[in-house]
Amino acid sequence: MNPSLPKRRTNLVLPPVASQVTAGIRYRRAVSAASSVLSYAGLILLALLVLVPLWWVMVSSFTTRETVWANVLPFSFRAFLPEEFTLAAYQEIFSRGFGRAIANTLFVGAVTVVLTILICAMAGFAFARFQFRGKNALWVLVLLTLMVPSELTVIPSYTLVSTFGWVNSWAALVVPAVGNATAIFLFRQFFAGIPQDLFDAARVDGAPWGRVFLNIVLPLSRPVMVTSGILIFLGQWNSFFWPMLVAPDAAYRQIQVAVAMIGVDQELTSWDLIFASSTIAALVPLLLVLPMQRFYVSSIMGSGIK
Amino acid sequence: MARSERLAPWLFLAPALLLLLVWRYFPIVWGLRESFYTNALSFSGGREFVGLDNFRWLLDDPTFWKSLEVTMIFNVIVNPLQTILAFFLALFINRSIRGIGAFRTILLLPIAISINISALAWGLALNAEYGLVNGMLEAVGLERQLFLRSVDQAMPTMIGIVSWIGVPLWALFFLAGLQNIPADVIEAARLDGATRFQTLYQIVLPLMRRVLAFVLVSTTVANLTLFAPPYLLTRGGPQESTNLLLYEAWQRGFVYSDLGASAAMTMVLLAITVVVVVIEFAFLRPAD
Repeated sequence: MNPSLPKRRTNLVLPPVASQVTAGIRYRRAVSAASSVLSYAGLILLALLVLVPLWWVMVSSFTTRETVWANVLPFSFRAFLPEEFTLAAYQEIFSRGFGRAIANTLFVGAVTVVLTILICAMAGFAFARFQFRGKNALWVLVLLTLMVPSELTVIPSYTLVSTFGWVNSWAALVVPAVGNATAIFLFRQFFAGIPQDLFDAARVDGAPWGRVFLNIVLPLSRPVMVTSGILIFLGQWNSFFWPMLVAPDAAYRQIQVAVAMIGVDQELTSWDLIFASSTIAALVPLLLVLPMQRFYVSSIMGSGIK
Repeated sequence: MARSERLAPWLFLAPALLLLLVWRYFPIVWGLRESFYTNALSFSGGREFVGLDNFRWLLDDPTFWKSLEVTMIFNVIVNPLQTILAFFLALFINRSIRGIGAFRTILLLPIAISINISALAWGLALNAEYGLVNGMLEAVGLERQLFLRSVDQAMPTMIGIVSWIGVPLWALFFLAGLQNIPADVIEAARLDGATRFQTLYQIVLPLMRRVLAFVLVSTTVANLTLFAPPYLLTRGGPQESTNLLLYEAWQRGFVYSDLGASAAMTMVLLAITVVVVVIEFAFLRPAD
């Protein structure tokens, strides 16, 4: 293609009268200005749709129970500022064991992240770097698990947990989550892109595969460890149905279950508690994702290109 | 040496494959088997092979049929809706105008939040008696609405609530796809005189086919198996208008202790999911 062609579609055939040209340019400028004003209006409207409910929930969590609805009906914009600032709701949920639920969830999330990364990196490495019989069939078997949501097998899985005697245990929360096809996929893609020479060089002195994996392969994969780590942690932090079934005890209770226990009975009047617990449950993943949105986005994108 | 070389891949694979077999494949097979027994999936008490009876009882069960109907209507609306809105949101935030980065960050925020929190927050905002939305409606002179308390409005309201997370989430995948399209492909089309619409329809859409298939299948899988919104917001009501099938299956199994019916319902849902996903894949398979 001729590189001297202008980038944008402009009028290559000039109209004969000069005044028409300037009028045309002015018209097009006006159209593009109007369209960018409309674009920004649309973007701002959408941003408000995201931010207003989040902001309102957060603000309401710092308000006393009596004044939670004070500026909502009848509505005034003061609904978006705390009427009487207080931390009472937070004090109450923490006195009811919400801190324990946060700690439980952080613990389960951390253990799951470490185990999943180790085990799925191993599997991804095997799929990327070894030739063995049945490899393609096994790869399909791994990917097929993405098509059947675990929610549909939750009842037989629950029976399995109870057969193992794992109801109300850390194992019930962690172990079923460790075999993670998305993580295996991400690691396989990453290892497949690394030059073979690197692995050959590492094995020249006859080092066993185990040591090569721990000393060379795993440290190389730090970018995938970060991205899949975020996905795995968020998966556990936001998980609800499974922990509600297998570990409802206060000793193991996960944060979404704790929030739901406060929130499920909205006939109660402890609105401020729902607002406070929801704020914490939303804020942790937001704070985690915001500084790392680039990583998080790229990991979701990576898992989407299947 | 040669033997340990042959063994190496299997040692690397063993833990992950074992976990997938035990926690993903075994429950599918077992769930299917158990749906042919009374007292399914429990170890206490006698159990008896009843063949297809659990399924036959479902056929005579009006609650099941109503729940199936609600689930199907919900999915027929919500999956195309989320896919289309996500595609346009991605197009909208894929442009290079000033400050777009900040808007992208904000518009993608809901992705990090769990569906429960979104359901609770919107449940409060849309509360029929106190809610923020009703306050705003009154402030601009409109009538209050019942939202989740109304037989007619509960399902549309729930569709809106789950889309608040769903649309940005799927838009992210479309955004990834759009950014993979080389800019000169679009420019060439525009130079040849294609209109914006022609470019979109004849250049962009065909290139996005894989992403489109992935998003459509993922929304289907996610929305066929929703549990938290009816559990937290409506308990399936009013008048079973939001009684999605997975919630009904949970209720049968864990509230009414009818594990046979529960297992049969999940198997029906599993079969529907597999069939719909296969159809969607076949429909969207690239022409080559």
